[in-house]
Amino acid sequence: MAAAVGVNKQTSAASMEPCVRHGRGTTGNTVKVLECGVCEDVFSLQGDKVPRLLLCGHTVCHDCLTRLPLHGRAVRCPFDRQATELGDSGVWGLKKNFALLELLERLQNGASNQSGMSEEALREMGECIIRCDEDESHTASVYCTVCATHLCAECSQLTHSTRTLAKHRRVPLADKPHEKTLCPQHQVHAIEFVCLEEGCQPGPLMCCVCKEYGKHQGHKHAVLEAEANQIRASILDMAHCIRTFTEEVSEYSRKLVGIVQQIEGGEQIVDDGVGMAHTEHDDCRVVLAKQEINRLLETLQKQQQQFTEMADHVQLDAGIPVTFTKDNRVHIGPKMEIRVVTLGLDGAGKTTILFKLKQDEFMQPIPTIGFNVETVEYKNLKFTIWDVGGKHKLRPLWKHYYLNTQAVVFVIDSCHRDRLMEAHSELAKLLTEKELRDALLLIFANKQDVPGAVSVEEMTELLSLHKLCCGRSWHIQGCDARSGTGLHEGLDWLSRQLVAAGVLDVA
Amino acid sequence: MKHFLRVLTQFLVFLYCKCLWRGLKFIFRKVTGRCELQRICYNNKPGARRTLKIESSLKCSKSELLQNALSVHPDAVEKTIDDIMALKKINPDTNPQLAISLQASLFQIVGYRNLVLEVEKLRREPYDCENPDHEEMLMKLWKTLRPDSALTGRISKQWCEIGFQGSDPKTDFRGMGLLGLHNLLYFAEHDKAAALQVLHDSLQPKHRNISKEEASKMSKAEWEKQKFDKAIGYSFAIVGINITDLAYSLLVSGALKTHLYNVAPEMPSLMHFQQTFCYLMQEFHRFWIEEDPCDIMEFNRVRTKFQKRVLKQLKNPDMALCPHFTASDLHLVNL
Repeated sequence: MAAAVGVNKQTSAASMEPCVRHGRGTTGNTVKVLECGVCEDVFSLQGDKVPRLLLCGHTVCHDCLTRLPLHGRAVRCPFDRQATELGDSGVWGLKKNFALLELLERLQNGASNQSGMSEEALREMGECIIRCDEDESHTASVYCTVCATHLCAECSQLTHSTRTLAKHRRVPLADKPHEKTLCPQHQVHAIEFVCLEEGCQPGPLMCCVCKEYGKHQGHKHAVLEAEANQIRASILDMAHCIRTFTEEVSEYSRKLVGIVQQIEGGEQIVDDGVGMAHTEHDDCRVVLAKQEINRLLETLQKQQQQFTEMADHVQLDAGIPVTFTKDNRVHIGPKMEIRVVTLGLDGAGKTTILFKLKQDEFMQPIPTIGFNVETVEYKNLKFTIWDVGGKHKLRPLWKHYYLNTQAVVFVIDSCHRDRLMEAHSELAKLLTEKELRDALLLIFANKQDVPGAVSVEEMTELLSLHKLCCGRSWHIQGCDARSGTGLHEGLDWLSRQLVAAGVLDVA
Repeated sequence: MKHFLRVLTQFLVFLYCKCLWRGLKFIFRKVTGRCELQRICYNNKPGARRTLKIESSLKCSKSELLQNALSVHPDAVEKTIDDIMALKKINPDTNPQLAISLQASLFQIVGYRNLVLEVEKLRREPYDCENPDHEEMLMKLWKTLRPDSALTGRISKQWCEIGFQGSDPKTDFRGMGLLGLHNLLYFAEHDKAAALQVLHDSLQPKHRNISKEEASKMSKAEWEKQKFDKAIGYSFAIVGINITDLAYSLLVSGALKTHLYNVAPEMPSLMHFQQTFCYLMQEFHRFWIEEDPCDIMEFNRVRTKFQKRVLKQLKNPDMALCPHFTASDLHLVNL
């Protein structure tokens, strides 16, 4: 058995649960909306299908009620078996469901019966045709301002044919003047003022009677139109605010989308949809909505503030800088870590460079046996530098340090011309290593401060670096570990190579 | 506020301790009838225990004479002792031993200072190919360590045999300067047997004795690799230079005071430092074998561990690293 679903506002206001349901799939104001739960026929306003109320609150049509078996003087509700005593007049004695009837009537009359309908109900029914007040089958096209009736052209001629009535001003429906809303307390008076007292905010509208003698007596007040215009202005302000806010939001979301896309190829971020407030013509409605608008405005401002604060916060904390390197590594965190191995012949100055970078002091180191490892922070990069001893016997062990290395720093002693060839052969050996295929190569031509040192250009020539390092990213940098010149330029080059162009700015 | 209070309390405690300490010293002086230096000399065995206390006592002294005694020239030590005796109103005839003890300690203190300066000077002096003395020392080193084979040239691959990095040993003396060469030569000449043993071991590193269980766990290739890596033993000369650095840092930090005050009856000299170096070389060699590292790359780890161990040993004021001269010899001097 179908249960009662989809209860209309008006009916539920009558605190009963009619056994009705909306015709599924029906739209508009057709009469096939409410049906009896037993026979599934549509209720009618009178006759056999009139809805009658049982004691339990269920509604059944008159016809079905007469067919129900009598249990003594009572009938049982077909839905919950509760007994309802019948009087002498039998089924006729049961009360009609007037709430339902009223609803039925409204639905049947549709838009033509406008006076009995609130604007809200009208809107709920969607776009509707205004019917001629004279003949329901006609569609109204003009409005008589004197009689306050909607008329079609034909009926307008017909009803206003007399000399007196012919003077009535009739306007096209579109130009129909707005009706003055009447005061709910004093039906004859239109609402003209707005109460400004705090206590009256829930119901600030008043007519002249309310103002002079009624509940708003002596209250501060304003003229309805002025107040409405003021609120409209504030709505416009708010709309402007919302627009800028949404722009901001969408800008941030665009940024975020960009980042997300960079991370995993694009996920859409749904930005907080901010609905635009519709502006209505009716002053009264505007004024009534004032509180809500104010609340909205407050929420909006709060949100905006929160958003900007959050943005500030995010930028301060900013968080999780993500850096993408060209070798497809993602570095999360304020520092980008890079693993570097420093290699070169013995006495080239690897350890000196390392300590110069680390402590910014020059010291004559002792020959490195094994390795030194230090982390050097430079800009937003954190270099973990492995300085491996350059002794001849140690060179076979270099291979243990290749793993996961992003860059090789090869240090050459520029003032030892006779050892350049040895350096060249070591470098050539390095470049054939499989593990170092993708590693960056930075060559430090150290000891440039010593007179007679081989210049960078000359060294490039001598070592035929262009040929040797063909097909990989390499750079030769003259430097001097004693004063530290050139070292940071080398690191700059490394960071530029490691960080994919432009992404560094995000960090 | 809290911070302020804490600082204030610290300050008061410090002040109190300072005053209390002075007060206690004064009371002791009145009760025993001896000054602090006397008390130290009579209550402590000769050696580092006594000398370290005298040194700190002199350093904290209010008297300028006593403070300056620490940095006095060795020739003026005797006069300074007389001055101190006069200042403290100690009769040299009734306390003959005090003057001698004090003098020995002061010589040690002053000598240590001079040793640091001397060592620093040597370290600062770079190896110079033009200087015949330097060249001669280098050649001597070769002859001592490789008496059987002649050197083919000043620049030769042969230098690698005794553990230099390249064909020119000069480049390896960067950080430690002549000090490294002096130390190596001393070790080779004065402790020849030990030096040759260390050199021999470094050239023919023993393979790790792998037990059967261990061998079964690792693949053959792995084992081969380990064997190969292990076969690269440490290099005598540059390890010597590294140990020189270790000894130098111990000396400069003052950690060697314990040792030198214990072994040198009077002024510690370069010879004492070099003896210490020899001891450290041998100890390190033993330690290296004990540690049994996988390959040479662990050198720095082993070195740090070794240094920690030595530092721990030197915390003990009775400790002497190499018992060439023990503290007992000092009795003779003092008596």
